[in-house]
Amino acid sequence: MHTPHSLGRRGFLRGVGAAAALATGGSTLAACGSGKAATVNKAGSAAQVQLPTYTPLSNGPTPDLPGTDAGVPAGFYNYPASPTAAFASPPLSGGKFSAMTPLFTAPPPSRGSNPAWQAVEKKLGASVDITMVVGDDFDTKLSTLIAGGGLPDLIQYDGLGGVPTISNLPQFLDSQIADLTELIGGDKIKAYPHLAAIPKVFWEQCTVAGRLYFLPIPRGISAGAGLYRQDLFAAAGVNSYKDIKNSDDFLTLLKELTNPGKDRYALATNAGGNYYGLPIFEQIFGVPNKWRVDGAGKLTADIETDEFKAALEFMVKVAKAGCYYPGSQGWTKAKMEDAFQSGKAALIYDGLPALSTSVWATAQKIDPNARLMPFVPFGANGGAGVAYQDNVVFAGTMLKKADPAKLAEVLKIADFLAAPFGTEEYLLKTYGVEGADYTLDANHNPVQTDQGKNDSNVTWKYVAAPQLVTYNPGVNALTDAAHQAYSELVPMALPDPTATLYSPTFGKQGVSLYKAVTDTLTQVIGGQSSMSSFDSAVKTWRSNGGDQMRSEFEQAYANAPKS
Amino acid sequence: MDIRPSRTGRPPWMERPSRLGRGGKILAISLISVVVIYPFLAVVATSLSSESDIAASGGLVIWPSHPTFDAYRYVFSGGIVSQALWISFLVTVVGTALSMAATIGMAYGLSRSGVVGGRFFLATALFTMLFTPGVIPMFLTVQKLGMYNTLASLVVPSLVSAFNLVVLRSFFMGLPAELLDAARIDGLGDWRILTRVVLPLSKAVLAVVALFYAVSYWNAFFSALLYLNDTSKWPLALVLRGLVIGGEATSAANEGVVPQQAVQMAVVVVSVVPIAAIYPFLQRYFTKGVLTGAVKG
Repeated sequence: MHTPHSLGRRGFLRGVGAAAALATGGSTLAACGSGKAATVNKAGSAAQVQLPTYTPLSNGPTPDLPGTDAGVPAGFYNYPASPTAAFASPPLSGGKFSAMTPLFTAPPPSRGSNPAWQAVEKKLGASVDITMVVGDDFDTKLSTLIAGGGLPDLIQYDGLGGVPTISNLPQFLDSQIADLTELIGGDKIKAYPHLAAIPKVFWEQCTVAGRLYFLPIPRGISAGAGLYRQDLFAAAGVNSYKDIKNSDDFLTLLKELTNPGKDRYALATNAGGNYYGLPIFEQIFGVPNKWRVDGAGKLTADIETDEFKAALEFMVKVAKAGCYYPGSQGWTKAKMEDAFQSGKAALIYDGLPALSTSVWATAQKIDPNARLMPFVPFGANGGAGVAYQDNVVFAGTMLKKADPAKLAEVLKIADFLAAPFGTEEYLLKTYGVEGADYTLDANHNPVQTDQGKNDSNVTWKYVAAPQLVTYNPGVNALTDAAHQAYSELVPMALPDPTATLYSPTFGKQGVSLYKAVTDTLTQVIGGQSSMSSFDSAVKTWRSNGGDQMRSEFEQAYANAPKS
Repeated sequence: MDIRPSRTGRPPWMERPSRLGRGGKILAISLISVVVIYPFLAVVATSLSSESDIAASGGLVIWPSHPTFDAYRYVFSGGIVSQALWISFLVTVVGTALSMAATIGMAYGLSRSGVVGGRFFLATALFTMLFTPGVIPMFLTVQKLGMYNTLASLVVPSLVSAFNLVVLRSFFMGLPAELLDAARIDGLGDWRILTRVVLPLSKAVLAVVALFYAVSYWNAFFSALLYLNDTSKWPLALVLRGLVIGGEATSAANEGVVPQQAVQMAVVVVSVVPIAAIYPFLQRYFTKGVLTGAVKG
């Protein structure tokens, strides 16, 4: 389904709200770019752009579990014993800069009372005012700033590879955002070695209308197909996801895992973008990632495929068998995670990065045998399942238009923040100042103090970041499992053929059109509607704009040179 | 209905209620109380619980089996919540005072007949009730007035609420004209009529309007979200919003740290207690029959 992946992070209503807030600003933007509207409105693709040349760093630490250029994050059991300095001296010499990012934690203390913030700026050689906006409200504030003026130097854009969260995106980029193609395309990126060490797969997400506009904030390519309780699976006779051969096996297992008497169910879901754990079933049944493209360049939407229907029919069976925790479709995500950690649900759809040392520790306190593991999809009819490239980047960072000298300085900030795991700079921007914010344990792993937990909430990692690593200090089993999952998921992860293509209709109507389909979908799974109502919802989607999107994407696909 | 005196000679409503009737009432009131108190109790209990207790109970805890103040310690350790609490307090007190001054002045002026331009100002105020400005025009106004990223942006744009103005004006207009005429004959000017006569007679409505203002300042997060960049200026409502929904925003990407539920609930308690605490002090004004005896003699 289009929505869980592309909209998961912001959610439907927020997208709709942002679109509404933008209604006033939209016309201004269109006017700004009107001179070039004809060119910027054209669909384009990453293949047309000369992307930055991937140049791995030669002096990085050796991981315990190696990563790959295709995007598997390297795994580290512990933080390297003697972190190296990525910069001998501050890359900048003075200056004031600004940035804007979302915030998913409590707000950090402001600069004056935050030694970590001060230390980062000292090492950077410049001051950076970060406007941190509560995650859900980010798009509202951004659209207000776009219309009202006053954009900062570095701005996060969270619509990459999904529904654009800024209306008239190409016009906006053209009129207000620096075109990075000439600045860092090809070998020019080598002036910023840490940005150059980000593999090509991440930069491919960063283009619009044939130009490079964003710096990637890399993630692990695939968010996985949910998380499972290996201990509960084992008790039901299945040691690992690898022992599940087909959908019949799976249904038997789900029924086996469900035991209402013990307050235990195979699955739990939550309100919002989970749709009864739909992504798990889509990947098992081999549904394409948003669109499937055939040899002739014809596109088929995921919801139009037989695979999708098979997945949906299977989910209806699972729901009828009582395998979902009753009422969990109204839960918050936190409540679903609680149910999983306490063993009330054995399988949930949650992103792979949700597994962490602290989550593991909470579950182990409740049950010392608890083993929380990433689930890798099998094939419904035997063989392999598919995975999705649904978490390639967290977001992209845009640079406000400025003269080349200023842009070079702003890029140096990004390069500084992209200092990789194992460096002193990474330790500083992630954990703060040693002593006040963290102490090192016997294995050189930072352990945050209470002050550190607050100080380190400054959102440097959303301004710019290096390639992700898998690092769960103290729980090697989890690092092993996550690395293993990434190693299996990344090669089987299907790209979304439209991820770097632009369709004006998708930008304008993508959200509202899919809402009708997902509403029907949840009713079908919940047993309030029949399969035929899903078929008619798909028909409506087609006639209201789905076919239009298809033809726009197809045209963009045809125009894009194939690599 | 038959209201003849019963055997005791008293009307029925003065009879001792039957045991069954009393039991029924007690049961009904208890049930309603439980329904009202349960959410509060659960929030307080959860804020005092450990994370594993919360996970084990599947969300909200009713009785903390291993009570701990960890959540409160964390909430107050970074200085963010205490700073936000102070900001909210400041904005609420100053904002309410300014709003009351502006609203009272305007309402009194508009309640008198023969004020030059009175109709125009009233119509202008009412216009804002019917047609609220959009987010972006408001943002531009705040920006151009130099209030962007200042605490004034939380107060000035919402200084006078047209609704509260209408409530006060109507109340002032309802005061007996004889009273004001008498004051004028005694030689009082408008200022002293307002402060000596009108306001003392309007305590009830002033308490209500002040409470409306105070609660709206205390809860305001959207203006703070739009106009404030610096986290050290964030009011509590915005911090609370970040803590409670911050972790919900992520699905596939899952940007990690969902704030612990105990922490979320601790912030809810911290934000609810001050505003709940002022209710009892204002309550007496709500029930007082203020105009009793005002026109005697």
